[in-house]
Amino acid sequence: MTIEQDVQTPSEPVLPKKSRASNLNMVRKVWPWAFLILMVVVFTISSKVMNNVDFISVRSVQGILTYATQILLIGLAETLIIIAGGIDLSAGYMLGLAAVTGAQIMKTLFAAGANPIVTIAAGMLGGTLVCIIPGFINGWLVAKIKVPAFIATLGMGYVIYGAALVRSKGYPVAEQPPYLGAIGNGFVFYYWPGHASSFFKMPPGAIQSDLATITALVPNVVLITLLVAIVVWFVLSKTQFGQHLYAVGGNYQAALRAGIPVDKVIIKVFVTGAILCGIAGSLWSTRFTSGDANAGVTSLLMGIAAVFIGGASMFGGEGRVIGTVIGALIIGTIQYGLVVLGISPFWQYFAVGVVVIVAVIMDQFGRTLER
Amino acid sequence: MEPMLRAVELTKRFGGLTAVDKASMDVFPGEVVGLVGDNGAGKSTFIKMISGVYFPDGGEIYLDGKKTTYAGPADARNLGIETIYQDLALAENLDVGSNIFLGREMKTKYLGGLIHTLNRRKMQDESANVLSRLEIHIPSLTQQIRNLSGGQRQTVAIARSIYWNAKLMIMDEPTAALGVSEQRKVLTLVRTLASQNVPVIIISHNMQDVFAVADRIVVMRRGKKVGERVAAQTTPDEIVSLMVGAEAVHEMGVIPKPLSSAAKEAEA
Repeated sequence: MTIEQDVQTPSEPVLPKKSRASNLNMVRKVWPWAFLILMVVVFTISSKVMNNVDFISVRSVQGILTYATQILLIGLAETLIIIAGGIDLSAGYMLGLAAVTGAQIMKTLFAAGANPIVTIAAGMLGGTLVCIIPGFINGWLVAKIKVPAFIATLGMGYVIYGAALVRSKGYPVAEQPPYLGAIGNGFVFYYWPGHASSFFKMPPGAIQSDLATITALVPNVVLITLLVAIVVWFVLSKTQFGQHLYAVGGNYQAALRAGIPVDKVIIKVFVTGAILCGIAGSLWSTRFTSGDANAGVTSLLMGIAAVFIGGASMFGGEGRVIGTVIGALIIGTIQYGLVVLGISPFWQYFAVGVVVIVAVIMDQFGRTLER
Repeated sequence: MEPMLRAVELTKRFGGLTAVDKASMDVFPGEVVGLVGDNGAGKSTFIKMISGVYFPDGGEIYLDGKKTTYAGPADARNLGIETIYQDLALAENLDVGSNIFLGREMKTKYLGGLIHTLNRRKMQDESANVLSRLEIHIPSLTQQIRNLSGGQRQTVAIARSIYWNAKLMIMDEPTAALGVSEQRKVLTLVRTLASQNVPVIIISHNMQDVFAVADRIVVMRRGKKVGERVAAQTTPDEIVSLMVGAEAVHEMGVIPKPLSSAAKEAEA
């Protein structure tokens, strides 16, 4: 038996909503860029008018980027986890744990007179790797025991915080090797007009008073964060693991039935996120030449905010590295801009909060119209 | 001709309840078999034994003449038995190609296998191939599934099964959530599958659909197979009377109700 001829309809009717939907999708993707530009313009004009200061300068751009590194690293961790349908509320405390652990290792080795390279490497590596333990437990709780990520990582956050406070007795871990700060506060390139320029070190012969004439370009922490962001982008958009993150976050059941090792993917993403937080903590200790359990407390929610400003979905399956980068830059610009304007830095929380809400409204707006 | 699938006297009990009682069914290459029955008739349980979700308490399953038992649904899939449930199991946030290759992505190796990247181009091309083989037209393969219509989603799910060498396709109410023109498309696709020698078992409440595509109709009632008819040699009335029990119809002393409403009642 066959189907009669009239059963077959010609080609698919064209969906009228399509072009409008893609326009709105454009708006959704482009508005953070537009917002960032607008903010720079506003800060430029108002700092000129109010304080007669140029907002755009090598110094301020690098300042913003440096501010943004912490937020971005946590944001990258959260991007991966949120795409997979989870969230990690322990990320900020992991940063603290990494900073404390790394600082203690470096303090001990330095006191024992170890080689500087060994000291730094051990500190960075130790601080980063220690985060794998809570990251793995987070992933295991979420994947195997089916504890909601929000609760599992909230609990784990306090556990880590407690552990880091106990380890450091509640004080910043100081007495760091003197060469540590040269990494965290150093630059990739130093340009000294009329003299020799140099990489990673002050030009030979320069003394403290020459600083004003030397232009330092690209903070080390910015370069490192940028490299990390590129790796995360690559993993997310080019590899099977990245694809599986989107699949698990988009439709858990479908991923499961398609044979994706869902539990493994979830554990892996929490561990990856933890490593990123570990890197953030290690960089923190190089910048502030100490280790502090509180190091990542404010960066946590700022990092999550960056992810949502960047267009990720609360419900998983959506988000992009570039979006989070913009989100982190917006927050960094707010923080730095308020300082330049001489406005109380406490306003930054107010401003970031408004931006997050605007971001979510833009996102919802785009989605409802798309349907 | 050798049947592709032979299910012989399959039985499944849940505690004291016998959900399926010695039901048998043969499926030959290239045919579409409609499986109909009222709610609770045991259709789903019967199908789930064939697709490996349930382990039968009695009876045997033969694939291509060989006796087969499966450890689970994945096992059945590896043997080429693909089941498409109503929810389709597609990731709506991913595009067509990604869904066809979901969990089995194609990769390119770099640095002697140290780094793998997704080969999206190849997956796109292969998806386009399988879709055109099935005469499916989807405007853009880079569309997210959420932007596709219900019928298009259904065809993506079917294309995925076909790409992974489905030998037997089981479809649970494939037209339930679709508009009329889309229903027809999916039914056309079912016929295309059969013509390419992939037999299809289609579970449906919709008598029109069943008569539109099925070569043979198997009727279940209260866990038992109560009838099997060649579609061309039966009528919807006869099938419905088998579904609800011929005695019941006679007792009522009336001509059976129009089919669609009877089916709706059965659903409700």
